[in-house]
Amino acid sequence: MMGLRNNDGSPLHPAVPDLADQALRGRIDRRSFLRTVAWLGVNVASAEALLGVSACAPEPAASTKNRIRFVCAVQQMSDPALTTWIEASNLFRNSLEFLTEVDADNITRPYLAESWKPSDDLKTWTFRLRQGVKWSNGDAFTADDVAFNIKRWIDPKSQSVNRTTFSVIQAFEKIDDHGFVLHLSRPVCSLPEQLYAFTCPILHRRFEAEGGDWPKNPVGTGPFELVEYDVSRSARFRRRPGYWGEPAAVEEIDYIDLGTDVATHVAALAAGQVDILYRVTIAELDLVKRLPNARLLSGQAAHTLVMRMQPDQKPFDDKRVRQAVVAAADPAQMLKFAYRGLGVVGENHHVAPFQPDYAPLPRQTRDVAKARRLLAQAGHPNGIDLTLTLGNTQGRWEQDTAQILQQNCAEAGIRIKLNVIPAAEYWSIWDKTPFGLTYWSHRPLGVMVLDLAYRAGGGWNESHFSNPAFDHALDEAMAILDPHARAAAMARAEAILQDEAIMVQPYWPQKFTAVSDRVRGHRVHPSDFFRMDRVGIV
Amino acid sequence: MLKAALLKLGGAAATMLAVSLLIFALLEFNVEGVAAKVLGQFSTADQRHAWLQANGYFDPFVLRYLRWLGGFVTGRWGTSTYYHADILQLIRPRLAASGLLGGAALAVTIPTALILGVAAGVREGSGLDRLLSVFAILSTSVPEFASAVFLSALFVFKLGWLPGVSTLSSGPSLRELALPTLVLAISASGYISRMTRASVAEVMTSPYVRTARLKGASMARIIRGHVLRNALVTPVTVIMLQIPWLLSGVIVVEVFFAYPGFGTLLYQASINSDIYLIEACAMVGVVVVVASQIVSDILCAWLNPRLAMTGGRP
Repeated sequence: MMGLRNNDGSPLHPAVPDLADQALRGRIDRRSFLRTVAWLGVNVASAEALLGVSACAPEPAASTKNRIRFVCAVQQMSDPALTTWIEASNLFRNSLEFLTEVDADNITRPYLAESWKPSDDLKTWTFRLRQGVKWSNGDAFTADDVAFNIKRWIDPKSQSVNRTTFSVIQAFEKIDDHGFVLHLSRPVCSLPEQLYAFTCPILHRRFEAEGGDWPKNPVGTGPFELVEYDVSRSARFRRRPGYWGEPAAVEEIDYIDLGTDVATHVAALAAGQVDILYRVTIAELDLVKRLPNARLLSGQAAHTLVMRMQPDQKPFDDKRVRQAVVAAADPAQMLKFAYRGLGVVGENHHVAPFQPDYAPLPRQTRDVAKARRLLAQAGHPNGIDLTLTLGNTQGRWEQDTAQILQQNCAEAGIRIKLNVIPAAEYWSIWDKTPFGLTYWSHRPLGVMVLDLAYRAGGGWNESHFSNPAFDHALDEAMAILDPHARAAAMARAEAILQDEAIMVQPYWPQKFTAVSDRVRGHRVHPSDFFRMDRVGIV
Repeated sequence: MLKAALLKLGGAAATMLAVSLLIFALLEFNVEGVAAKVLGQFSTADQRHAWLQANGYFDPFVLRYLRWLGGFVTGRWGTSTYYHADILQLIRPRLAASGLLGGAALAVTIPTALILGVAAGVREGSGLDRLLSVFAILSTSVPEFASAVFLSALFVFKLGWLPGVSTLSSGPSLRELALPTLVLAISASGYISRMTRASVAEVMTSPYVRTARLKGASMARIIRGHVLRNALVTPVTVIMLQIPWLLSGVIVVEVFFAYPGFGTLLYQASINSDIYLIEACAMVGVVVVVASQIVSDILCAWLNPRLAMTGGRP
């Protein structure tokens, strides 16, 4: 129909014509259309041609020099599927590849999987793998490798967060060496997009048999190979001959661990000792703007701070206490003073207005009198003492935000004590503390983060939230392709989270980073998933 | 004399033992905590129990302590839980790097502080003395993290003369050492020059200096022959006390400049709850403190033989 075609040449999914019709009539925006049909296996270039927009697939940048120096934490790592830090994934992403890729434009594109196609009911997904892909040890990449990975993700004993994400996969069925089918227990439309989560690199089928320690045995299919891994100091990747795709623009990437203080990173950039910084926080913004040889990059992402309360812990087991905290909080003030207003105000349900499945709800307003009343009803007429734990995992702005919550709540008689602990320590208790401030990185879709963080029993459900009506609304939203129909189900899920007052989720901050003005083709990726083979330096 | 030396060594050994017991008790008294830190957050209660059992953690505390101490003394320091590497191998290059930085800092600090201190002390109350006092007080009262920021703003961002981080990634480099050395030297030399000044000023008022002056000896000769040796006891003690500080107290400076030294390692070990590494680093710190004190005592006894008789300290 109208030039649209699937990557594997098979017939289009029955929902595609209707979606195309709506997109052409302007009922759904182009981006939502492209994303949705990309999930269904439609060739993105053909969809772009239909809408009359130019193809914008990322291309490698020109490069005249051969080495890029990137500031990034080099952490202890053994099993890439178990990693909890995106930094670690940015190292192995040079050598390990994924079935699909989601670039900065949020559109899912083929990667190790050449094409995919869901059944009409979205419960059976058929994938075709790229042919001629070789592992760095010479083995051919086949469906057996994929089988090994998916089976260990969904194993009941798996400790990876993938177990929650892919619990919907009931069976893996191999068709031939380059084809497989995933059978799901319920319909999920965004499966291809989820396969680019940072815990989903495709490892060699003998990864566990050969020791299960990736830096020691760094077999991969990617454009670079790991040549040196010195924890806390540096890691070095070198371009790999015989890579199946476009060769990388540079010969070598050096990752340099400069500790956690971003001011130190900026000093190294100023002195020309490094080329790319991982991130710049709001505190270094002015400094970076004054550097003559650097460029500040910024972008929007659905990453946020969540000050969540566990409803199975006292005193948060009383919904009125949680509601009092939320009613007393002033998100707009937090954005203004803790992040200089550079972002978008949140609505305490962890779905961003710029995420495609966002459903607008009536605006919540700050109401200190209501907070006091709720508190009195809950049996705390003289106020209440709470402790909020945080680790400044992303920088000082976490604490600045918490301090404004502290002041806001003081007006309602809620006395909050801030328990500030080291970042690494926070990540060992983040899902245990009754009242904690956690940074959540970007997910392309609202449903993804809700599924991960608020579904009953989920692996990363730090708030211990458990609500069947919510889970049901989520299931429904995840199965709906039409963006408008999906918004209706999402509105229910969002409203439940707001009403249960699980969290104060104040704002969606902008993302910043800085690079040397010699760097070409580096972009702020909303999830910080960098593809270094497309970055060049002159 | 011999008795005094034996007493000193015995005291040093007792100090090390007491501190080692304290370190061990703090970090390993709670065996559940040890298992959680070694096996990581994903481990289950069963795995932790089995690990504790296999590694003898259900033995009495005293037995575990003695075993650990024996391991430390014989160089078996165990494996770092974070780096997955032998701790002795891990610490050695870090100690060398910190030794380099500390040595550079001392090489700048000692002459600066002594010259300034003597110059100020011999003319107590002069304009030069006042000026040096102001410098000394300023440099002592500005903490390292502030002077590090200030100096890097000046030399890295404003003038662009020096590198912003000192990772020594292509071997030791004078340019990379310059800023951390400067920060350390500034904060240490202020204090040491104050101590030298006070000591020199005191000696200057002593009867033998007055006699020498009355005899008409030149100022240079008085300083060389009478003042220096007597006045150096206090600065030497203070300088020796700086050595342990240069090793583990410079965490701030090492971390600020991403310097791959002992301080950064200790800092990383503590944020990663790497308990065996923390224990080893703490023990190395203790050994350095005690050793530098012994050296300081020997030096003081050489400078002022009266101290050696009583085993006392200035």
